[in-house]
Amino acid sequence: MEDLKVVGKRVERVDVRAKVTGGALYAADVQLAGMLYGKIVRCYDHAHARVTSLDLSEAAKCKGVIKVLGPKDVTQKEYNASVLDMMVSADMRGVLGDIDDQSIFTDHVKHYGDAIAAVIATSEEAAERAAEKIRVTYEELPVYMTAEAAKHPDALQFRPEKPGNLAFQLPEMAFPDNAYAWGDVEDSFAGADIIVEDSFYVPKQKQCQMEPGTYIALYDDQKRLNCWTSTQMPKLVQKKLANLFELPMTRVRINITVIGGGFGARLGMVLEPETCALAMAVPGRPVKLLSTREEDWVTSPSRHPGKYWMKMGFKKDGTPVACDARFENYKGAYYVDASGTAFTTGAWLGGMYKFDSLRYRGESYYTNQSICGAFRGYGNPQTNFVMEQMVDRGCAELGVDPIEWRRKWHKTIGDDGWCIGVPYNSCALDECLDRASAAIGWTEKRAKYKNQTGTVRRGIGVAVMNHTSGAMPMLLEHTVCDVLMHQDATVTINLACSDMGQGSHTTLRQVAAETLGFPYEDVHMSVGDTDAAGFDIGAHASRTLYVGGGAVKQACEDVRRQLFDRAALELEEDVGNLYMEDKIIHVKGSSNKSISVQTIADQGVNNFMNPETGELIGQPGQIQGYASFFPPHNAPPFGATIAEVEVDMETGEVRVIELVNAHDVGRAIHPGVVEGQLDGGAQQGLGMVLTEETYYDDKGICLNNNFTDYKMFGPSDMPKMTNILVENPDPTGPFGAKGVGEAGIVPPVGATANAIFNAIGIQILEAPITPEKILKALAEKEKGLS
Amino acid sequence: MTSRVMAEFDLLLPYSVSEAVTLLASHGDKAAVLAGGTDLLVALKFDYAVENIISLAQVPGLDKLTYDPEGGLTIGARVTLVDILKSADVKEHYPALWQAAKVFATPQLRNTATVLGNILRASPAGDCSLALYALGGTLTLESASGRREVDLDDFWLSYGVTARKNDELAIALQVPAPQAGQKSAFRRMTRVTEDLSKLNAAVCLQMDGDKCLSARVAMGCVGPTLVRLPKVEKILRQAGITPDLLQEISDTVASEIAPIDDIRSSADYRLKVAGVLVKRVIMLALNGGNDQ
Repeated sequence: MEDLKVVGKRVERVDVRAKVTGGALYAADVQLAGMLYGKIVRCYDHAHARVTSLDLSEAAKCKGVIKVLGPKDVTQKEYNASVLDMMVSADMRGVLGDIDDQSIFTDHVKHYGDAIAAVIATSEEAAERAAEKIRVTYEELPVYMTAEAAKHPDALQFRPEKPGNLAFQLPEMAFPDNAYAWGDVEDSFAGADIIVEDSFYVPKQKQCQMEPGTYIALYDDQKRLNCWTSTQMPKLVQKKLANLFELPMTRVRINITVIGGGFGARLGMVLEPETCALAMAVPGRPVKLLSTREEDWVTSPSRHPGKYWMKMGFKKDGTPVACDARFENYKGAYYVDASGTAFTTGAWLGGMYKFDSLRYRGESYYTNQSICGAFRGYGNPQTNFVMEQMVDRGCAELGVDPIEWRRKWHKTIGDDGWCIGVPYNSCALDECLDRASAAIGWTEKRAKYKNQTGTVRRGIGVAVMNHTSGAMPMLLEHTVCDVLMHQDATVTINLACSDMGQGSHTTLRQVAAETLGFPYEDVHMSVGDTDAAGFDIGAHASRTLYVGGGAVKQACEDVRRQLFDRAALELEEDVGNLYMEDKIIHVKGSSNKSISVQTIADQGVNNFMNPETGELIGQPGQIQGYASFFPPHNAPPFGATIAEVEVDMETGEVRVIELVNAHDVGRAIHPGVVEGQLDGGAQQGLGMVLTEETYYDDKGICLNNNFTDYKMFGPSDMPKMTNILVENPDPTGPFGAKGVGEAGIVPPVGATANAIFNAIGIQILEAPITPEKILKALAEKEKGLS
Repeated sequence: MTSRVMAEFDLLLPYSVSEAVTLLASHGDKAAVLAGGTDLLVALKFDYAVENIISLAQVPGLDKLTYDPEGGLTIGARVTLVDILKSADVKEHYPALWQAAKVFATPQLRNTATVLGNILRASPAGDCSLALYALGGTLTLESASGRREVDLDDFWLSYGVTARKNDELAIALQVPAPQAGQKSAFRRMTRVTEDLSKLNAAVCLQMDGDKCLSARVAMGCVGPTLVRLPKVEKILRQAGITPDLLQEISDTVASEIAPIDDIRSSADYRLKVAGVLVKRVIMLALNGGNDQ
């Protein structure tokens, strides 16, 4: 292994001091002179209704009110808050069926919390008081909360161009038979000895990031639209807003404020369109929009819930012959991310095991739920819940050990990855399984927990996963980075990648320092201003370190090359004869011939003339590095989790006792950052499988868009947990690194479900697996036996 | 829907109990009392509006928690959950209350929430109020026209409604001194650790060897108010506590409760596990707080 000085070290995170002292400036903390406040009037009485009258007059008379805006007072352009259309080619956009079906304010309420109108006032209080005076009457429409309801022939149509309320299915043109597939599943099933099949439900999990959506916009005296937002995707949101308000990109500026968590909730636009529409109505005055938690909940996307059917066939010797699956998701009121997750949910399925044949169908149906979109894992936790339980059912019928089976049949180097035609180039899943198994004592515990009879029974279960680092070749993977060398030989890295709390600005800085051969302290990250930064598709798909890091590395190599070129000229030596140590470039084998980086940098800027000779001192020009980087691959992270649980047979309560997560991370640029991702991911994974779900009543009114009634796993719920970092450098990642932002959430989902199966002998098919469901299943089993 | 803006109110700051009750006499039907505020502030951010808030912050003497082997425990109106947890007397003599305070809400809320506030909230899911229901107690209410005592057994009238009149200030709760052989315990079920109860139970038993001389058994989340389980109490008093008796108790509980479906659980589930919970809380009391 090469000698690394900064990479692999637990350096101090760039954001840690500001965050722990309260100094970090979140959007809510930003105060601008002359600030106005917006309040959006939302429909909380119905999930599906037509506005029959809207009376803004009383609100307009209220104290402090500057303007009241209805649907006709803002741009009439429709839009799609998602940004998938900007990450695929124009041709693919058509194939994926992207449509613009959202408007700033609507007279057709399609979900609980849809926006009707807004008030702009001199204080938050005045805006809210006035908003209460806006009178709206509605004509109630039937609600469709599930795919089954939405596809009913008598159901109202959400969009004329999407008959049957089928927002998206895998398009025939790219996916024959509307399926992501290889082989012939019917043929393969015919040759199977054992077939397992079931229908599952996966829940509408919410990201629950700490910072609720807060935005500021200002249409300034240069007719520029400025927006302060904690978006995960500054450059794409800049372009989206430019399109929506029909402005050139030079007249739209995004300022990234400190992001209080993302997890996908800030992918694409959320309330940027509304805030900017308000600002356009009051040129010269900044307008701030602060969401309540409840409002954030129903306006930002959730995980895609829905029915997930799966069938698997095996030979007696365990050979996986066929897998057939269909995910019908309850898309929500608008098209946002209808295509992306419907596809990737199957991609993760296809990327895991060596089935002879596989067929996956993904369909998104419009419903009157709030929108679904990106959420850490992007379909992978859903697939893990279903696929891994089906594998364990197969293993139970085959009488084989679940770890042995997975070890034998998972895809590896050379096999098609999650994208058919793009083979895996690295895989350390075997080592993950071996080390996790040894760490928790799998074999002994698995044997010990057979034939339990007590009130409290233990179980142990495993799950594995594959994911991605960036979404090449599905999405346009491209990040631009430039590096400015100052005359004192420190550097500023300029790029658009957001750090949503995962630590990416720290790890990118480590990559820069290591590449340059400079101390960590000599590098500064300049981020968050779309005026300055070049293109990037945002912080998502576990891509920031892999693609952003690739860009940083390439731009820093450019700087290094320029330094060496100049040193070669000054020292009159070949570049090949030079090496750098402690920011001094030396000539190999010649101890007294050297030049410092400091001298090169200074002379480049302060390129004075020698008054005696009349010659310029040193090589002129400030050094700047640049990269417009397209990664060659998607460096697949793999991972395994083993979970041990205890189930109370009298109450159905589940206690998670221990989790061991072993992940193939390529290279841990900052081990603490990686562990943080795995810890947080596991916490959200446990929540998804055990407690988290968004509940609606039969009228589509959301019952728990708040922390009182939506229950996540908190620190006190977490079990003993061990993270094992398997470092097997990927040939394409910066210093071998793979993305780890999403991997951590995935396998705890399937592993916990399988541990419960191991403890009670029953598989619970609907997540979250609550005590209520377990007790019901136990009672039914008993009834069946008696 | 929660608002970021509270309705306007006048904040009144009495410096004595007599000033407080004078204010209540004139504003009682248009005033709320603020002690810990953990329920009141949530309500104010939701849809509750009130003209006056009478804060007890400056009223001396209400923060006293005292224990006397003869007279029992006196809990002042401003005694917080953390005060309860810090009291060795409570831990030793009233384990049900200590156990309820231990799991109550979150550390931040325990620093400010008051025990009396939990009683006055009249929630059917209250944890401390349930423990005190099992332990028994008398609430002292004071108004401009004098003092009166109300037994906790008669205090909760229906969901969110108590016997306190608008002009009355709850001063303190008196919990009787433990009888010889008294054992108590509290136990609850939640969706996650830091949560409101979806089912809770508390018992106070006076034991003479294996025999139970008297019993108070209370449950929450099974009706519009906290409830006592008289049939279970009667069974407990009949004979020595054996596995068979515990099973009989467990089977009886469902007939004494009327739970509903809500976001936290279902009526069906509560009916099924309430007996298990009562059985376990009795065991917990008998084992001196050790879960077996």
